Amino acid sequence: MSLYEKLGGDAAINAAVDIFYRKVLTDDRISEFFESTDMEAQHAKQKAFMTMAFGGPNSYTGKDMREAHKHMNLNDEHFNAVAEDLVATLNELGVAQELIDEVVTIVSGAKDDVLNK
Amino acid sequence: MTSIVFENRNVTLKENESVLDGLLRAGHDIPNGCRAGVCQSCIMRSDSTEEITHAQVGLTEAQKTLKHFLSCQCHPKSPISVQSTSLSSQQTEGVVIEKTLLSSSITRLRLTADIDYRPGQYLTLWKDKNLARCYSLASHPKKQNYLELHIKHLTDGAFSSWVKSGLNIGDKIKIQGPLGKCFYTADKAQPLLLAAIGTGLAPILGILQDALEKGHHGAIHLILGASSPDNFYLVDELKKLAAQNRQISLTFVYQNISAQNNPTPESDFSFAVQKDIYQHCKETYPDMKGYRVFLCGAESFTTKMRKQCFLAGAGMGDISADAFIPFHTSTLPPSP
Repeated sequence: MSLYEKLGGDAAINAAVDIFYRKVLTDDRISEFFESTDMEAQHAKQKAFMTMAFGGPNSYTGKDMREAHKHMNLNDEHFNAVAEDLVATLNELGVAQELIDEVVTIVSGAKDDVLNK
Repeated sequence: MTSIVFENRNVTLKENESVLDGLLRAGHDIPNGCRAGVCQSCIMRSDSTEEITHAQVGLTEAQKTLKHFLSCQCHPKSPISVQSTSLSSQQTEGVVIEKTLLSSSITRLRLTADIDYRPGQYLTLWKDKNLARCYSLASHPKKQNYLELHIKHLTDGAFSSWVKSGLNIGDKIKIQGPLGKCFYTADKAQPLLLAAIGTGLAPILGILQDALEKGHHGAIHLILGASSPDNFYLVDELKKLAAQNRQISLTFVYQNISAQNNPTPESDFSFAVQKDIYQHCKETYPDMKGYRVFLCGAESFTTKMRKQCFLAGAGMGDISADAFIPFHTSTLPPSP
């Protein structure tokens, strides 16, 4: 069984994405990056991100990640804030610690691309 | 192996090829992004509902009703015809049957035309090849045999000035549509928040009529905002509707009594409260978990209110908005 399936697949992401998006929107460290007039589109992006973090089916490549974040001047604090909000979301949903650890491993793997290092 | 029809051309799909990939290979310019069923930028529509059901995962009820599907996820077993969603609207001709001034600046236009729509959707009206505007539908196809639009007259508005002084009963007018996905879909027991400013009342009226027609029995909170109380319109009709349906609570909220309109001493604005509409909603609805929300009016209003309702606990999928966006030549849809 894949991590994505263990976490509950698409249904689990749908349950988690509202909680996660509320957290980043109210997180002063990063909220400016998530403010958008098109909240539905922004919400869809968060869903794509979570699908990736859950090890689910998606076609995001390291190059996409670099391209999407390159003009945002992001630093470690921004990256950590997003990761913390994600972990807090999973804790809130009662996800087992070993699965959370696997999610963190996947997200950490994207760090250099996101920060364009 | 099967085929699809798009813009009158036939495209044969290869083994395991999606509708999106087939159309791109044939040289069609179809918007697309993640190709994983997530970003929804490749949405198309088709009347072959059986062949698209598997490609509707993650779409809203409104999108499913409109027969939208994700072309990157669609692998039809039988030949189907597909359309792009932006051009899927019908084009037809309407006839003006009524023109009534509802307030000093708002005209109610009633038209007859053969259009199949959901109340709350919008139409594009054309004065001529170069001048078009979008207006939302206040009418209900099962309750009224005409289309009703509320048109706000802007002093320098080319289209609204023409409606006010150049358009007459009996005149024909080109109509395109319907468009939009802000219409009633809800669990019948769910509490509804319907909030509008200005002529956002038009789509809200359509949505409200549809909710009642479909037997919605949860509470319906109707909140109407205006800059000044003399800008409210259809006040008596709305009060009557609320009196007839006990589940409706009706609130009028305004910012200021405008000095330039010089309200006469006998002007009675006691039906409305003077308050910031965002503050009013924040205080009255601190917990919006489980609410179905409809927001209509200027884009600044729907954007701010959407965020507020979402942060108060309403699910993103439970918030629909009809945002009125100022028209520029570059945003003009293709001429019929």
